[in-house]
Amino acid sequence: MQNLRVAVDVGGTFTDICIMDEASGLIRIEKTASSPDPIDGIMAGLDKAAVDLGEVALFSHGTTVATNALITRRLPRTAMVSTRGFRDVIEIRRANKEELWDTYKDVVRPYVPRRDRLVVSERIDAQGKVVTPLDEADAREVARILKRRQVAAVAVCFMNAYMNGANERRMKEILEEVMPGVPVSISSQVLPEIFEHERFSTTVANAALSPVVVNYTSRLGERLKQEGYKRDLLLLHTGGGVMTPASVKDFAARLAGSGIAAGAIASRHIAMLCGFRNSIGLDMGGTSTDVSLAYEGQSRVTKDWFVEFGYPIRFSSIEVLTIGAGGGSLAWTDEAGSLRNGPQSAGANPGPACYGNGNRQPTNTDANVVLGRLGTSLAGGKIMLDPKLATEAVEEGVAKPFGLTVHAAADAIVRVANANMSDAVRLISISRGYDPRDFALVAFGGAGALHGVDVARELAIPAVIVPPNPGVTSALGCLLVDVQHDFSESYLVEAADADPAAIEAAFARLEGEALERLAHEGVAPADTVLQRSIDMMYQGQWRSLAVSAPSPIGAIADLIEAFHQNHEREYNFRRDDAPVSLFRLNLKAVGVVPKAELAVHEATGEVPVPVSRRPVWFDGGTALDTPVYERSDLPAGLVLAGPAVVEQLDSTVLIPPGTRAEVDQYLNIIIRVRD
Amino acid sequence: MAEPLPLDPVTFEVLKNSFITSVDQMGEQILRTCYSFVIYNRDFSSALHDAEGNSAAQGNQDIAVHVGTLHFTCKDVMRAFEGDMHPGDVYAINDPYVGGTHFCDVRLIRPIFADGKIIAFSQSNGHWSDVGGSVPGSFDVAAREMFREGLRITPIRLFSQGKLCKDVANLLAANTRDPASIIGDIQAQAEATQVCEREILRLVDKYGRDTVETGLAAVQDYVERAVRQRLAAIPDGEWETQDFIDRDPASGEGMIPIKVKLTIKGDKAIYDFTGSHPTIGSIYNSAFGATFSAVAAGMKTFFPDLPLNSGFYRAFEIIAPEGSIVDAKWPVAVTGFLMPFEKIMNAIYEMWSKIMPERAIACAFNLEYLLTGGLDGRRASKPIFMFYDWLPGGWGGRNGKDGCNVTTACFGTGLMSQPVEGQERANPILTTEYEILTDSPGPGKWRGGAGVRKTSVMLEAEKTVISYICDRERAVVWGIEGGLPSMPHGLAITRAGADKEEWLGSVFSDVPIGPGDVFSRPTAGGGGFGDPLERVPALVLEDVKDDYVSVERAAKDYGVVIRVIDAELCDYAVEEAATKALRDDIRAERGVWLATDPEEVAAGYRAGTIDKLDAVRRYAVILDWDTGTLLAQTTSQFREMFQLRSAAKWGAGATTGIAAQ
Repeated sequence: MQNLRVAVDVGGTFTDICIMDEASGLIRIEKTASSPDPIDGIMAGLDKAAVDLGEVALFSHGTTVATNALITRRLPRTAMVSTRGFRDVIEIRRANKEELWDTYKDVVRPYVPRRDRLVVSERIDAQGKVVTPLDEADAREVARILKRRQVAAVAVCFMNAYMNGANERRMKEILEEVMPGVPVSISSQVLPEIFEHERFSTTVANAALSPVVVNYTSRLGERLKQEGYKRDLLLLHTGGGVMTPASVKDFAARLAGSGIAAGAIASRHIAMLCGFRNSIGLDMGGTSTDVSLAYEGQSRVTKDWFVEFGYPIRFSSIEVLTIGAGGGSLAWTDEAGSLRNGPQSAGANPGPACYGNGNRQPTNTDANVVLGRLGTSLAGGKIMLDPKLATEAVEEGVAKPFGLTVHAAADAIVRVANANMSDAVRLISISRGYDPRDFALVAFGGAGALHGVDVARELAIPAVIVPPNPGVTSALGCLLVDVQHDFSESYLVEAADADPAAIEAAFARLEGEALERLAHEGVAPADTVLQRSIDMMYQGQWRSLAVSAPSPIGAIADLIEAFHQNHEREYNFRRDDAPVSLFRLNLKAVGVVPKAELAVHEATGEVPVPVSRRPVWFDGGTALDTPVYERSDLPAGLVLAGPAVVEQLDSTVLIPPGTRAEVDQYLNIIIRVRD
Repeated sequence: MAEPLPLDPVTFEVLKNSFITSVDQMGEQILRTCYSFVIYNRDFSSALHDAEGNSAAQGNQDIAVHVGTLHFTCKDVMRAFEGDMHPGDVYAINDPYVGGTHFCDVRLIRPIFADGKIIAFSQSNGHWSDVGGSVPGSFDVAAREMFREGLRITPIRLFSQGKLCKDVANLLAANTRDPASIIGDIQAQAEATQVCEREILRLVDKYGRDTVETGLAAVQDYVERAVRQRLAAIPDGEWETQDFIDRDPASGEGMIPIKVKLTIKGDKAIYDFTGSHPTIGSIYNSAFGATFSAVAAGMKTFFPDLPLNSGFYRAFEIIAPEGSIVDAKWPVAVTGFLMPFEKIMNAIYEMWSKIMPERAIACAFNLEYLLTGGLDGRRASKPIFMFYDWLPGGWGGRNGKDGCNVTTACFGTGLMSQPVEGQERANPILTTEYEILTDSPGPGKWRGGAGVRKTSVMLEAEKTVISYICDRERAVVWGIEGGLPSMPHGLAITRAGADKEEWLGSVFSDVPIGPGDVFSRPTAGGGGFGDPLERVPALVLEDVKDDYVSVERAAKDYGVVIRVIDAELCDYAVEEAATKALRDDIRAERGVWLATDPEEVAAGYRAGTIDKLDAVRRYAVILDWDTGTLLAQTTSQFREMFQLRSAAKWGAGATTGIAAQ
């Protein structure tokens, strides 16, 4: 009998496993230390959780294997073959820097060094016409050299190949003939879009990652199979869906942000369960906070995405803003007397001062301890927090320099951290045309639930949702996904000249490709959903905006009006008299995976007894005597008035005075900040 | 430690970050809505000003070249409209003679009212694609006065109480080659200033008018305090240097000096340009605002972590002789101010490299612009096309680190280079080469970064001309601490059917060009840092494997002899004994090379026995690179500086042989 769904999220420190019983909808959580080979950690965790893989109907997985391979450059030797004269596109990039002013901070080196970038004679012009056919002798010579060099993967990146991929395809054939078994990525297949650096960079990342993720997923698949799992391994990709190993070889770079998307998906799903179609995810961990946004039930997606600055990976990706504010972020005073918070962090080791591992600078965690918001132990007693060390650090680091009491100083530290997080939320919401008052904030990660209400208040967000297991919410995200592929194609036409029949034909082509891919992954036609959108802009603008498009395509005038409306929402103005251009066609192809329902809990009417009481400072002034509850004691239907603190294995929830918390039927805590 | 702040520490920190966020939001909005491709490629800046017009915050990602000029234009607008400003108004200005940069940089300024009184101004500055004048893109190299350069916009009201003044906007647009885009950019920039207004009003709502007003002043005091503390920690002293513009086209041969003396006294820095040349007969002049900006940007490079605002600008002072090349007055042409600008920046790099050796950096390549336009013959309607291109190049070698390869020019590190595929769609041009140029890095113990070469063919086009705006064809990118120069800038053209290249050099305008003509130009690498004979041979070997350096120049410039074992497998080896011998030879000879009669070098160049890199790096001789004629005055200026920056720093070599590595 297969009635379990298992999701595994492997992070740098912990491997989180989320096990759901399809019949009951109940969820179990297992957390184990990650191992050098992540597969060992996964298997150990499954073992610890006593999961019988023979009973697992669906196994999904978010992994940082691809991200880490890029960052550490532990990549197999990869070569790039390009048009003669364009050997250095990925090194020239757009030539800009991330740190504009620091002349000693450089953009990192490209994924393929210059010596392994070879060129061949061929050229296609901007209209797609072959100006110079591929020189076969040249191509064979390059293949021969690459074979001698024993490269493990090749990216073929030719100029204007987005208009005509014939030369790339021929080059691929020759490479496959000369060096069988070596994966070859070609830019016209990986990302048929204009602008050479963005397309080449994506293709190169794809090629370099292909052997890495193929190796990883086939080893993991093999181990799972040995242990009795019978279905396809599902891999979470940056776009917020999953794909099967059948697609991994050709689209390896889609896994480059696998670990990042999970939290955003979980946040969106939990908010939907609670009845909020608009939500902002605030995932605050030890060193950083990830902020994401879902509007009308859809996560915000971006194509401006990279693992390292300068090397775009232009697949649709869930938009996540990361800032250097976490529990371990250091509070410090700069030379001109300003109180700062982060981005430097005490990390996990030595960690906050109260860990007693030698750090003496105050962190957010220390401030929360001083304020009584955090207790003296974390993770069920595995980590003990020393309030004396926390107090000393806050006293020396902030209270004395500013002449504040220690509680006022701790309050100041937390408020600066909250303000920084609020700025990040503001950037993803207000500056994109969304009004935070229409949203719920989902606070998760180890530290999110301590700060969520303050951030919500700062932005006038009416409700804060704290999921049942805030610390392992990302793993839950891996459980909640569909198979999804994103297709796109440059389509550069003025709207006035656009022919609906031609657009329809172009979409039909993409849809054919999409259906084929989904079928290849075993998705039944009935479970297939296709969503079209068109990127458009005012003629002469440089950035486009996506507008959803119907099937069949309908009147161009409707698309133009939809574009005006989107432009006005995002940027606050529209130009009815200005001509509009089409830029790109996008297709999202979804293979719906039946979702198991999360367990629903009946209201019991029980009133939990606080496990303790302690003084908690909610501002820098006086403390309030505050009840402390154990999360597992809180039944569905409970209403708690602040002040209260709720403690659990992986997080602490702060319910300040003036707010009211409800426990819903899924055991989420919903804190009403304002009615 | 901390001095008492006028605000509690939390409110202060929150306001400081909110001000910066409000400005960054303007930048974000502009990037997403602009029409000018120059703005899109990040030639823009945004600022929040206090009620006096001082800058309280400038964007983190703003282009360097606008730094320190936005408060001047804000103040000029205030002067013009004093007593006549209303909520919803937006003003425009581009005037370089009151502190702007050049005519293309058009600034939109919005007063922000709280409780019926102005509390702040927001400003959005962007490089428009065209502002009229005699050539497309408004860069006329031959201009000597502003009248050929473009439209000078003294303060005007562009929106009156929320309504676009169409008459004024249309007048602006009608004086450009791209009226539809200009109207679009006016709307995009005006909206951006409103994004900032919205944020400031939110802060006023939350903290109250007085607190926000105090905050606007406090953030400036904060930055001023930080800079002054760092200046005070540096022992008082004087440093001086000079850099050059290649020539004055209206005068004879000889480079045009820009002299800078930096004095640090207590907690203040003074930059004195006394001795700099008077304005010259081209567009390569800088008015006071641009000079101020160059100093601010150059100095800011050594304080990368500090936020930018008027507090920073209060910590230094400038002395510039009136009417000099760094203080041009109306109506002297200034569109090419970036040429003196980058010279000032690099001179400041050089002086600060001595003060902060841990952040030392040699000279960067020179900014270059190529403009060609005419009728696009690919289409039946033969529309006008305008190809406006700029390239990245190498940055200077550093103390313990090679220079950055292929990076945007130092006047604006945020500026992006353009994709060839976009250019080929829009213009009848096919690019055949855009690659890193082997041997372009200036040799040094830490070499400069590599430059590129871009070569393109003109396709079906009619009535087409080409112009080029660059420099350092003669004042070649220099090394420091014993490092060597890189190579001259300049463009060459091969006419359709011809078998020989014509050298057009680094500055020319309106040269006819037709179908089949091939134009090609390199960008220089960065200057080297430290004696190249002290470079670890293994690093030279790696550079050879990647073709950053050729086997031939590894020997000539670094004295490293490399044996090719199997080039296909990148298999090379350093010949240790031969390297030691060669390095000894070079040490013995290089003084002699530098003393060689320049005429002899010129003759060798003409005979083909001495190439361009040899002339510059070995003999420090500058020629007319086309004819091989010696430029005597230029060479003597170049040799003087080469002596100071390079030769004087070469050790005897006793401790620097390869054995010591």
